[in-house]
Amino acid sequence: MAEEQKKPKKRMTATQAAASIGPMVKEFIAGAVRAKAEGKQKLAYTFIVCHHEEILRALDVLPVWTENFAGVCGAKRDSERFLQRAESLGLSRSLCTYALCGIGFDQWREEQGQMPPEAPWGGMPKPDFMVSTGQILCDPRAKWYQASQQYMPDVPIYNMDLPYPLFERDRDHREVWGYYQKYIAKELRGLIKFVEERTGKKMDYDRLKELVDLSDRTWNLIHETYELRKAVPCPMGTGDAMNTMVPINFMMATQDSYNFFLNLNKELKEKIAKKEGEVEKEKYRLLWGGGLPAWFALSDFNYFNAKGACFPAETTYRMVAPLYEMDIPETKDPVEHLAWRWLGYWTFWYDKARKRPGSEPDVERLISLIENYKIDGVVMHEAFSCRTWHVGLIWQLHQLGKIYKPIPVYVVTNGKKEKTYRELPSLILESDIIDITSYSEVDTRNKIDAFIETLESIRKNRAD
Amino acid sequence: MKDDVFAKVENQYVNYGTRARELKNQGQKVIGYICSFVPLEIITAAGCIPFRVRGDIREPITKGDTLMETIVCPFIRSCFDLSVKGKYDFLSGMVIPHGCDSMVRSYSTWNYSLNLPYFHFVNTPSVVKESSFEFFQEELKAYQRSLEKFTGKTITDDDLAKAIRLHNENRNKARALYDFKKSNPPMISGVELTKVLTVGSSLPVTESNALFDEVLAALSQRKESPLKMGPRILLDGPCVDNIELIKIVEDSGASVVADTTCNGTRDNWPRANEKIDPVDALARRYLAGVNCPKTYRENKAGSFEGDMKARFGDIGYFSRTFKVNGAILYTYKFCDPFGFEVPARKAYYDSIHVPLLCLEDLYSAGTIGQLKTRIQAFLEMIG
Repeated sequence: MAEEQKKPKKRMTATQAAASIGPMVKEFIAGAVRAKAEGKQKLAYTFIVCHHEEILRALDVLPVWTENFAGVCGAKRDSERFLQRAESLGLSRSLCTYALCGIGFDQWREEQGQMPPEAPWGGMPKPDFMVSTGQILCDPRAKWYQASQQYMPDVPIYNMDLPYPLFERDRDHREVWGYYQKYIAKELRGLIKFVEERTGKKMDYDRLKELVDLSDRTWNLIHETYELRKAVPCPMGTGDAMNTMVPINFMMATQDSYNFFLNLNKELKEKIAKKEGEVEKEKYRLLWGGGLPAWFALSDFNYFNAKGACFPAETTYRMVAPLYEMDIPETKDPVEHLAWRWLGYWTFWYDKARKRPGSEPDVERLISLIENYKIDGVVMHEAFSCRTWHVGLIWQLHQLGKIYKPIPVYVVTNGKKEKTYRELPSLILESDIIDITSYSEVDTRNKIDAFIETLESIRKNRAD
Repeated sequence: MKDDVFAKVENQYVNYGTRARELKNQGQKVIGYICSFVPLEIITAAGCIPFRVRGDIREPITKGDTLMETIVCPFIRSCFDLSVKGKYDFLSGMVIPHGCDSMVRSYSTWNYSLNLPYFHFVNTPSVVKESSFEFFQEELKAYQRSLEKFTGKTITDDDLAKAIRLHNENRNKARALYDFKKSNPPMISGVELTKVLTVGSSLPVTESNALFDEVLAALSQRKESPLKMGPRILLDGPCVDNIELIKIVEDSGASVVADTTCNGTRDNWPRANEKIDPVDALARRYLAGVNCPKTYRENKAGSFEGDMKARFGDIGYFSRTFKVNGAILYTYKFCDPFGFEVPARKAYYDSIHVPLLCLEDLYSAGTIGQLKTRIQAFLEMIG
């Protein structure tokens, strides 16, 4: 508990844009509490990456991002009391700690009839309804609100099924995605009906279309902006991206999100022109290859930076792909488009993966980032409480190991045989998303030190 | 006679997969599966043999941990570990359904590590509504096509209907086995029934039916219960395919008379409707009939009490039918679908006045001592 109470060291950001995120998050958490008090807008608990923000916003519903609130509790090192509250209800600490934190918080608030004492940034207000979805990604997302409903049974749930075809080596996903799209569109229309009934508003489909177009433009802009990070030295790292994930995941379908990335794009171009990197003397370029961050230990990114390591790319929270590269049918119906975009996103790497024996989409995406961002090593984080994003990482590293070998490799380029080095060391950090009891700063930093030594030794070997 | 059949069961339980290996050697295709969501009828209709992949709580997980994270549910890890060590090297293929994150997120790891000639994912919907059935029917047809491609055999509606009848017959016989648990003390122990059902899930359905017939015949001759009178326990939880937990209960003077486990009633209770289109029947059986916490069922009652009855009504039914005195809710560490239901299930048991012991376990023989202490204390409490 002593460590819990210690104020975390604030992570230094490389960009102004990332630095502006903290107050924004604080404001939209406080804004939800205000909206609840005013009673003018309906509030919905919901999850990120469901491609439904446009629907909620078009019907003037204010999303309350419960994962975000749990992350804030973690970052403020104030999740333990809510986790313990959840445990006291019979929930195991081995379950998703975001969900445990949220359920513990809800039960506390409902039992007291008011926010728990000193609730982080004002706390989470009781919603008017909850929109959940397990997809084929995340069981806790399907179970969390159902568990919370025990303590607020008057709050209805709409649970959307949002499946996508899993990658099969011997099948083109287009053989099946027609019936997936039809089902997803029905689920989204079901959400519209559910929200219309609870808000008393009718969907304005022109407005919905505008918001979908805005999101699409934002998606492309994010992709183009993040591609700027290929520059050497890299102007923005994963540490900052753990801030800039906010407008991607919590503010989609808003002009503010679009404007944010316009500004970030401009800022990165300026930095590139001035050759201003995240790290003063860039020595190692690392890929954050998987896993949600330990929100209470984001300053570990600064620790990497202090050793000359930057993170030009990450797979985590980069939940967009360029629309113009997606092979999805055109449609004027915004709901149909949302369903196609959902499938386009999840199957984005399938064709490329099918072409490389032994690959699969997650591995293919890693290879693409490694090659395009001139990566020297891969870092992953295994959060013990989350199977969604943290199962499969070991196997992905195994597959990468078949390509990036720790020995010199001879490749034939333009008919000439050349010796090249494709070694790519990796590091898996272990702790959790918000459960600080799983974390040891000393052990983590010892691991980072050893990893940096490996990178340095490879760098020297290559120089020799 | 009784000794013969139970000795045969014991042998096949200990040497799990022996018969499947024989059949493989005779040129048949054995398709492995892990979860109650895999429609077995389609495998049978394709002329293949469905085989439930088991874990082993006594086998330390070694090779599996070099390929799969330890935050995966320990049951899945054990099944995977045995598979990569070659225990099930007679499999021609495997079907993994959308059961839980531990299965779905490790799908690629299974697929590439085992590298079997056939591998397929069945995307079971996570909600129950009319559009989910429509989607699921299409998904089942895709699954059917993939098996047709693999076997080179066209699966007709008649093949499906016949397979549905055979598997329903199997479930009817399993229910008849459960009937022998209704007496006090029960005429079949929980340990015996678990072994019989486990072995049954490793055989072609016709052989499983024949085995169940033999067991039923032996039980009908049985004059004395293998157990003494004692507390009657319902075992609530996921797949419990090793007998150790049940043995602790029964060695402590109680009997396991009912369950909601995957290899117990979750597999064996719901039947497919033989009077409707076979694919529709399978979609409805596996989505609506299989009551797994992974599947979201809308709270139509608008109250927590009503929701509990809808979600956990089977617990109430089994508690009444088998006259239970107490229940054990047994979950695995890292199991999100069951784990998040513990408070609601506790509330439901309170509402039906059935004393409950909650256990979270590791699917490892290393915890037997702890389990024994807690179970004995619970049994003493409920008398």
